[in-house]
Amino acid sequence: MATVSAAKKKTVRINGCVAAAQAAKYADVDVIAAYPIRPYTATMMALAQMVANGELDAEYIVADSEHSQLSISHGASSSGARVFTGSSGVGVQFAYELYSPISGSRMPVQMMIADRTLDPPGDFGSEHTDALSTRDMGWLMGWSCDAQEAFDNHLMAYRIGEDPRVLLPQMVCQDGFFVSHITGDVELPDSGQVKEFLPPYKHPYPLDPRHPVSHGPQIMPEQGPPLQLERARAMEDSMAVIEEVHDEFAKIFGRRYDPWVEEFMTDDAEVVFFLQGAHGVTARFAIQHMREKGLKVGLVRLRTIRPYPTDRVKEVLSKFKVVGVIETNMGLGSVSSGGVLYGEVCAALYESDRRPLVLSFMAGMGGEAIVLKEFYWMTEKMMEVQKRGKIEKRTHWVGFED
Amino acid sequence: MATIEVQRQLLPILDNPNQGARFYNPELPSSEPFVPGHRTCAGCGPSIQYRMTSKAAGDNTILVGPTGCMYVANSSYLCTPYNVPWAHTQIGSAGSFTAGVAAAYEAMIRKGKWKGAFPNIICEAGDGSASDIGLASISGALYRNHDCLIICYDNEQYANTGIQASSRTPYGGMTTFSPPGPEVPEGKKLFPKDLARMMAAGHPHCYVATASVGYPIDLMNKVRKGLNHKGAAYLMVYTPCQKGFVYETPRSIDLGRLVVECGLYPMWEWNPEKRAYDYSFRPASMRPVSEYLKLQGRFGHLHAEHIATLQKFANEQWRMMGVTLPEALIQAADAKNLVNMASAAEAAAVAETV
Repeated sequence: MATVSAAKKKTVRINGCVAAAQAAKYADVDVIAAYPIRPYTATMMALAQMVANGELDAEYIVADSEHSQLSISHGASSSGARVFTGSSGVGVQFAYELYSPISGSRMPVQMMIADRTLDPPGDFGSEHTDALSTRDMGWLMGWSCDAQEAFDNHLMAYRIGEDPRVLLPQMVCQDGFFVSHITGDVELPDSGQVKEFLPPYKHPYPLDPRHPVSHGPQIMPEQGPPLQLERARAMEDSMAVIEEVHDEFAKIFGRRYDPWVEEFMTDDAEVVFFLQGAHGVTARFAIQHMREKGLKVGLVRLRTIRPYPTDRVKEVLSKFKVVGVIETNMGLGSVSSGGVLYGEVCAALYESDRRPLVLSFMAGMGGEAIVLKEFYWMTEKMMEVQKRGKIEKRTHWVGFED
Repeated sequence: MATIEVQRQLLPILDNPNQGARFYNPELPSSEPFVPGHRTCAGCGPSIQYRMTSKAAGDNTILVGPTGCMYVANSSYLCTPYNVPWAHTQIGSAGSFTAGVAAAYEAMIRKGKWKGAFPNIICEAGDGSASDIGLASISGALYRNHDCLIICYDNEQYANTGIQASSRTPYGGMTTFSPPGPEVPEGKKLFPKDLARMMAAGHPHCYVATASVGYPIDLMNKVRKGLNHKGAAYLMVYTPCQKGFVYETPRSIDLGRLVVECGLYPMWEWNPEKRAYDYSFRPASMRPVSEYLKLQGRFGHLHAEHIATLQKFANEQWRMMGVTLPEALIQAADAKNLVNMASAAEAAAVAETV
């Protein structure tokens, strides 16, 4: 039962990268596959030091590429080990081949992503395109907006992904620099709490010489759909598990998150921002300022994008007149010719009786901070649309227009 | 942290008094981790190799199969011929997936999560995987010295995809990506990557050896030496492909001997303790390359000058092993002493039929 009061917790000031490393340590991972690329590298640096200090007993492997990182993780997870890996930007894409085989073989590998803009050019800044480009590969996926949430999401993701009803890999994402390199107070739990929350990893069919199994034999076309259907169902079924695990987490650790969306000042809001990750923190301040001026603006921050909470997004966003999607990702030639989130939002709203007008804001691109005045500017655009009752320009590149 | 010491297996070396001769050891291990019923071609060299190597390893073994013939033909339609755990992995993941399995067992045994002797972890990579797309992953696994054995079943081409040139395809070898024609009479113009020496030179702490299906006891002993070696080992095995080489199916083992006897597949071991090559393996006889080439349709288009080029290549291999060349082999490297196998037009006609 809940042991919050009995726990020997401590609060430390760490950044998102170190928070992710701490979570891996608390999860007592067996195999770590590292390869350097900024900004996620700091997570692996922290883990290397923990192994060197004897704080964590794990095989720490410096892989020869991200493709190898994910292959090592696949092999280790298939053998019954709890695995931790991670990457950023083009590194996420170098490993692309492995995402479907890992989710298809139902191996709950955990991967930390600290977002980085894709090339060209060599831009270190955060943009969600790296992880989002893999969004339909069968990995559970969601963004944290600060270091504490990152720590918590990593622990919850292991519990969700390793649940025998789910058995899916997890991408636990955080914005590069805005979360990965900004320190904040993080409450580290007592190891007894983690033991209570996260049972040991036990895959039902590992590569074990005492119980021989074959993983991934080649198949006939008609043998493919049943396997695809099982994977799709695992993704669907994970929704109930995700809710259960968030409840359990709140009971044991005392922090309660809505697994799907965070709503901020939405009670009487008429226009809202819809976004993922770190810019939610600035958005909260901007909204408070605008509220002081009497503007009815709010924030809906998506916490889990895979599985996508379609009904929840529909139900929440149908309450408003205008939704401004802040993309922070590239969807070249996509539905809105902006980012890929717009399409996800509109699809969820299609079946609603009260559809809000939806705008796509290309902001936070290339790792640029979205500053307060840009939030004010976007709010103005949303208010204009609300007044007019229709959309004249679907997509705005923020900072490139008057 | 309290840790448990990892216990490792030690497999006995089989009696092999005359390694280079036609010799059969009746004391073969009885275990058959690789059983009949798979869908490989008649005379398939890689599957003969698979049976021998898994037999040598025994039942406390985990097999890793990157994409290639030994993935597709063995595991067709959800049926597999493995009596031990086996996992498919991507063609470029040969070394890395295998490293993951090895690392998992190191950690799980040490942390008391799995009890028993460390399993034999064997990767069966084709030469396309080992010499091209998965080269870095294998180099990584050898460099990091995971306790595993990586075998390259070398059929000198991408056979599974319909016979395409790999960087192991010999000079003059016809494939669908290196067909002969009037402008390119020799077919493949490049010489093969010396993969095994690359592995030995770059990872001198590893046990590295070459072997051939023509010498089964030698092959099985090299498998066991690789598995007994604590750390990573690499074995390169000549495994003829009837489809790609175009020969009579009962002659797979003959080719496995001829390729060694004609010097095109040097047999050696790299001894990691002494940091030295062991060239003591001697085939029963030495032959000109033409005796090997003429059995295979893939070389049917070669002209005298191409055969001479291959003989020069073989002679260099003998010299690298410190073998004194008989006069006949020196003579055979001169095109004047050789005849064409076919004209370019005939060769192009043959290429059409593959």
